[in-house]
Amino acid sequence: MDLVLQLLATGLVVGSVYALCALGWGLIYGTTLHFHVAHGAVFSLAAYYAYAAQKLLHLSLPLAFVLASLAAAASGLLIDLLLYQRLERRGAFRTSLFIASLGLLIVVENALAIIFTPDPMRMDIGVLDTSIILGPVFLTYLHVLTILLAAGGYAALMLFLKRSRWGQAIRAVSSSPEMARTVGIDLSRVHLLTYALGSALAAPAGILVALDVGAEPFRGTRFVLVASVGVIMGGIGSIPGALLGGLFLGLLENLGIWKLPSEWQSAISFGTFLAFILIRPRGFFGRTVKSAEL
Amino acid sequence: MLTRFAALLSLVLVAASPAAAQRAPIKIGAILPLTGSGASYGVWMKGGTEIATEEINAAGGILGSKLEVIYEDHAADASKAVNAMQRLVEVERVPFTLTSYSAISLAIQPIGVQQKVVMMNGGGQSDNLANKEYLYNNIPLISNEVGVLCDWLTQEKRLKSAVMIVANDEAGRNSAKFFRERFTANGGAVLAEEVVALDGNDFRAPLAKLKAAGGDLLFISSYGRNVAIIANQARELGIKAPMAATSWVLIPEVLRAPGAQGMLVTRLPYDANSAFARKFKERYKTEAGFFAVQYYSATKIFAVAAKAAIEKTGKLDGPGIKNAIESIRTFDTITGKLVFQPNHAALLDAEVGVLKDGRVEVEKLVKAAH
Repeated sequence: MDLVLQLLATGLVVGSVYALCALGWGLIYGTTLHFHVAHGAVFSLAAYYAYAAQKLLHLSLPLAFVLASLAAAASGLLIDLLLYQRLERRGAFRTSLFIASLGLLIVVENALAIIFTPDPMRMDIGVLDTSIILGPVFLTYLHVLTILLAAGGYAALMLFLKRSRWGQAIRAVSSSPEMARTVGIDLSRVHLLTYALGSALAAPAGILVALDVGAEPFRGTRFVLVASVGVIMGGIGSIPGALLGGLFLGLLENLGIWKLPSEWQSAISFGTFLAFILIRPRGFFGRTVKSAEL
Repeated sequence: MLTRFAALLSLVLVAASPAAAQRAPIKIGAILPLTGSGASYGVWMKGGTEIATEEINAAGGILGSKLEVIYEDHAADASKAVNAMQRLVEVERVPFTLTSYSAISLAIQPIGVQQKVVMMNGGGQSDNLANKEYLYNNIPLISNEVGVLCDWLTQEKRLKSAVMIVANDEAGRNSAKFFRERFTANGGAVLAEEVVALDGNDFRAPLAKLKAAGGDLLFISSYGRNVAIIANQARELGIKAPMAATSWVLIPEVLRAPGAQGMLVTRLPYDANSAFARKFKERYKTEAGFFAVQYYSATKIFAVAAKAAIEKTGKLDGPGIKNAIESIRTFDTITGKLVFQPNHAALLDAEVGVLKDGRVEVEKLVKAAH
């Protein structure tokens, strides 16, 4: 029983990171229908921004965290402004956008590897790696922070989408871009805002993982893959679905090895995903996945 | 016209003099972990090789020819290593290469056999490296070292049950296999085993499982910087049992890791105050580890074998180097006499000790059974 509780806690931490990635990716995909794999590049960039802020600019960790998140949001916005919107104006298909996005991911990852070496860059995290003992469960302060940030990120996003004018515009575009345009919503500005928001959600995920085990250039690819799986499982277009999808994958990966050998850890989540899209392609809450949506 | 001129020029060059031909450098390869989870080994291996090469060249080279080493990075990836080996063999035409890591050495060995290129491994320790044609190991096989470790743990530390975390590669699995065999033969029990990725960085779930399985001891059958992560995460999860590992883990990241302090380890002895170690530290601003000494020695062994091969056959090729190693067998190195056993591996003494404050406090020396 102790083991299950520990795996549950560890799974919740991993799931929180996945959820942050999935919230950002799901928001972007749900609104723009861009299969934005370069989200992985933003995830990695955020980690290196934080590293550079702490180690090169000698800023305190909280300040480095906030600045890196802002820089990541700006990076996401620029990707849409300078790459996707230009391609769309030229009438590019979604597949071309996807290929461009993939290309950008590869370029950014390799550039990071050249600048910072492929080795993990460790940051100073002070007392954050101290263990907290909750009965049979051991977590660090960093893990608790991860869970809190995922919960906070989700709440803030929901509040923004429901209460603010811009949030309502995003929801309008997400449910019907044509209708939104008819009522006078500027699609390109809504897209830019969506990219900034989505990237600001991926940033803490990238930074938190870097604080735990160091910033690494090629980590984003796996996380964007997991995020997209989480979003599809949760249901495309559903923000609670993205949160749930991310948490579910983290929990599954960790609880799954309760009875299975550890080497199956990655295969468990992707295997379940395959079964899931065959049996319930709509995900927990969302619209049906159509092949045309790529 | 240009082609004809080039042909003429090369004719002139070839005919110039035997002395000029002799002065062409002797090129060898070195396939090392220069990046990735084992980059720390790479720093030592490359540094040791560089210092040896400089010393050889400063002393007149190999019968007048300068030694030149072409470094290739395998980053713990066998496909990269195979490409590097192909390049060394086909483009650089080397007769000899240094190699490292068990899985890497096993992956390139068939190419070495086919192309008659001698490979010298100073780092990998899987027992499957034994008795491979053209492959020599100036390092003992892991069964020896794991045997020394198990005897110490069961007989002197009185540890009776163990759990293992095992890297999913040749070296990790091979060392785990011998640990299980010897620990069980000594009357101990292995309660659980979890296999993890060598380049992973979140080991909490498998460690939680091992914690639940209990045991007096956690044996870490892995290497590279992720051992530091495993040790830290094990302590973070409240695993209180002592940890044990072989000399693979003695790299700066692990020595510094707070979680690794108190780890019970084997160490292959070398003199940290030798002239070589001092030279290394002065040049690379870091302590020379065991693997620096290994590749320094491997390069020196090559020079001796190459000289013998040229003297005997008048040329330098793989079969000549192989025959020279087989007939010389005993080489003088800075750590003493190194004897290649009939299985192509060396036997070295091993020490056992406890990792404390970033260094190993040696408890005793176990002589190799020659």
